[in-house]
Amino acid sequence: MSTKRWIRCRGVSGFLVLSLCMVASRMLAGQGAAPTKEQADDAAGFKEFSSRLQAYLKVQKTVESSLPALKSTDLPELITAYEQALARKIREARPHAKAGDIFTPAAREAFRHASRAALEGPHSANSRAYMQPGAPTPSMRLAVNGIYPDTEPITALPPELLAAFPPLPAEVAYRVVGRTLIVIDVKSQLVVDIARLILPPAS
Amino acid sequence: MRRRSVLSLVLLAVVTLVLSASRAADFAFPLQANSVRLAVIGDTGTGKQPQIDVARQMVKSRTAFPFEFVITLGDNLYTGSRPSDFDKDFAVPYKSLLDAGVQFYATLGNHDKTNERFYKPFNMNGASYYTFKKGNVRFFALDTNYMDPKQTAWLETQLREAGNGDWKICYFHHPLYSSAMFHGPATDLRKVLEPLFVKYGVDAVFAGHEHVYERVRPQQGIYYFIEGASGSLRAGNLAPSAITAKGFDTDRTFMMIEIAGDDMYFQATSRTGVAVDSGVIHRTVRPASGGAGHE
Repeated sequence: MSTKRWIRCRGVSGFLVLSLCMVASRMLAGQGAAPTKEQADDAAGFKEFSSRLQAYLKVQKTVESSLPALKSTDLPELITAYEQALARKIREARPHAKAGDIFTPAAREAFRHASRAALEGPHSANSRAYMQPGAPTPSMRLAVNGIYPDTEPITALPPELLAAFPPLPAEVAYRVVGRTLIVIDVKSQLVVDIARLILPPAS
Repeated sequence: MRRRSVLSLVLLAVVTLVLSASRAADFAFPLQANSVRLAVIGDTGTGKQPQIDVARQMVKSRTAFPFEFVITLGDNLYTGSRPSDFDKDFAVPYKSLLDAGVQFYATLGNHDKTNERFYKPFNMNGASYYTFKKGNVRFFALDTNYMDPKQTAWLETQLREAGNGDWKICYFHHPLYSSAMFHGPATDLRKVLEPLFVKYGVDAVFAGHEHVYERVRPQQGIYYFIEGASGSLRAGNLAPSAITAKGFDTDRTFMMIEIAGDDMYFQATSRTGVAVDSGVIHRTVRPASGGAGHE
């Protein structure tokens, strides 16, 4: 195994270990007692999410390594061409990808609980104000293996919400559209998975 | 009696206007050797005439105040990220500045796509948050669309390692303080960033998102500016509050900054070339623990 590849693998494994540690520590934070059933279930849900995501990242890495690296360029055409080529190859590598492959039912429940904890409470109005307006149209069409629309803005995610979710490696990121949570592939802008009705409704 | 009160109010308004105008007229950049000179723009990328007017005014102003680089406060491209959008919203309006060798250091707003970080003229080198140094100033460009624990940890490390000798200027899209009505302040973000700014002695912070100009009274010793009207404008959206030191919401603006030693000279200029705000911030000696003081 080449050094570069070994570092990459270590990076992804490190992300998984870090995710699980963070989730576990969050579950146990401030508690002398064992976690409740809901906390244990959420930890298991996040674990499942992280391991499914790691499987995606393996595919993504393989595909990306088959393309020339994207470097800073004066030519935006090259950026667009790279995005399109990467998206096409990822789609080819996971033609049957569908919503819920990564956001499993247990993971969705865990994200729902984490979102509620971060967005419901005395400061929820502040968080909502940060996310809205300037956010994308809630009715915009989203599909796994589709592209996050070029002309839509993105929702700024409150730090508290991001801290409540498992951390992601640089290749992917969370996006929110209305109450829907998405994981996108950052370089291709491809929608990796979608989980609807995760965020609590704005009051 | 009532007539006299009205007359007094009118007189007071006239005197205030004249005083502020003369203060603006009195203001001059020192243009000291080795000073750091830059311009600040935010919420630019419309590709429409007002943005082009601001860009022209920047070129014009540069003959008297030769700034070397520009920081952008996000929403660099509103219309999308097709190659034609990069041209229409950025490369064409700022062509004269780019041709003159002026460097742009961008941040990402909620209308920007992450891959703008690979566009060389934005000088982001593939990173959505980064730091760079010019003279005695250390700049921290942040991605406030996605302030995850990783970025917060990175910022803390960078601020700590920057030490106490240089000016520390942070810039990003979402303002921590704002008196504009459309968005309001990003208090969630403030909870995370302000303690770091205070702890490590950040001197000044620039943000956009609100399509107005506002200078906020120092908060915990830090100067906050909003410059989100260099392309878009929300006319009449500013509701000056107790934190407002100066505001302007009737036309597009950009800022020019000169940092000479421990002084930061600033001027906000409208697209017609009118100075709408100006002043000097003096940085006092910093304690070794990392806090900053100002006068």
